[in-house]
Amino acid sequence: MSAYATLLFEKGDGVAQISLNRPHALNAYNIQMRDDFAEALAAVAEDGEIGALLITGQGRAFCAGADLSEFGAAPSQVIARQVRWQRDVWGQLNNLTKPVVTAVHGYCIGSGLEIALLSDLRLAAADTVFAMPEVHLGMIPAAGGSQTLPRNRNAAAALDLLLTGRRIGAEEALELGLITRITPRSELLGAAWDLALNLVNQSGAPAGLATNGRIGPAIKSALRGGLDLTLPEGLELERRLALINL
Amino acid sequence: MAEEFRDACRRIDEDEQAGLVVVTGAGDCFSVGRQSPERGAGTGQDEPPTEQLRARLSRLRVADALANLTIPTLVALNGDAIGHGLELALAGDLRIAAAPARFGLAEPGRSSFPWDGGTQRLPRLIGPAWALDLALTGRLVDAATALRLGLVNRVAPAAQLSEETARLAQTILAGGPVAARYAKEAVGQGMDLSLAQGLRLEADLSIILQSTADRAEGIASFREKRPPRFGGS
Repeated sequence: MSAYATLLFEKGDGVAQISLNRPHALNAYNIQMRDDFAEALAAVAEDGEIGALLITGQGRAFCAGADLSEFGAAPSQVIARQVRWQRDVWGQLNNLTKPVVTAVHGYCIGSGLEIALLSDLRLAAADTVFAMPEVHLGMIPAAGGSQTLPRNRNAAAALDLLLTGRRIGAEEALELGLITRITPRSELLGAAWDLALNLVNQSGAPAGLATNGRIGPAIKSALRGGLDLTLPEGLELERRLALINL
Repeated sequence: MAEEFRDACRRIDEDEQAGLVVVTGAGDCFSVGRQSPERGAGTGQDEPPTEQLRARLSRLRVADALANLTIPTLVALNGDAIGHGLELALAGDLRIAAAPARFGLAEPGRSSFPWDGGTQRLPRLIGPAWALDLALTGRLVDAATALRLGLVNRVAPAAQLSEETARLAQTILAGGPVAARYAKEAVGQGMDLSLAQGLRLEADLSIILQSTADRAEGIASFREKRPPRFGGS
């Protein structure tokens, strides 16, 4: 069913599910996964039958962070920067117009947490452990964490996690706005699918049609786009989108 | 005191050994900032009163001096931080409060206009509704409320505040010093950018860090399952 070495990919009822699939390595994000993720995201963006994306992880953990055995070897800065923008997988995820649900469990560390923060609806199993450990490895986040964390609560909360590298549980992640829902581990996948299906059906169109889930992307662009605008500009954006989508 | 505070910040900025700053208050109170600068009568001769007030305010301002430090800054709120005292506290990176401490932007019963960053830093931290409530009504919030609002990051019993602060400082100092400064820069500068611009800033900073010895040490220590020994370069 899946064409990817490091991901499971399936779709049904207007929803695509990408599941990180390196369970032996707690789904640590490596170069192969980056390439697979880029391809899968492009497929999701292009596929008219897909109205929403669900991201999950196989095995004991959602994602334990970047695989340091691969990302450790740094080429020159010039090449690193060139590679970064040749395969801008985080930009692809951030710019996806279709709503993204991410369901995390076990470990949601570093780039795992950053994937969640780039998505729209985030829910976690009650047993999830979150952390942003980069600074304690001599690095900073590189998948948007330094930008998405403060936008979810404030700069102080972001620096608290970034500077200490401390681990937090699902309850604190909820308080900090990193996630909005907590479920028992056994109910996580079902709850995530319900959310994703709800997103593609909210225009009332039957599942599987190219027109379904029209409202989700519109709401997403209004909210996300508006955060980068002044209020008058944001209100104008909303008016434009309302004319098309009411 | 304002002049001494700015001077201390200048010296910290020049001190390459300094990895973190803690700002706290002596006694039972952090700072209630009662010295609100009144508009003077003005001499009416060489410069208008507004210019005199502007000069007096810039002599009294301290928040920017703290905010502009590139190393992590902790504010240990040993007691009440009200008015200018809160404005100073808002300029730090993390705030840890003693349980009995209270916080407000204005002194109750006295209307006063904040003049050291309060109208800008408070809403960015706790959102406009709560910021306006504090600024317009002189309302004081207790430490538990401040924690819930995101105004402070931690609350500790008064007797344990310095111990908790030291522990937090040690945790932060165990991280990579260059990475900590870059993380602070990415968060601080990024909040004034669009998300797309912020993502580019983060990418550039993270790539610059790839050349540091600290990053190599961080990765090596992780592989060897030992604590890292960062040299700060």
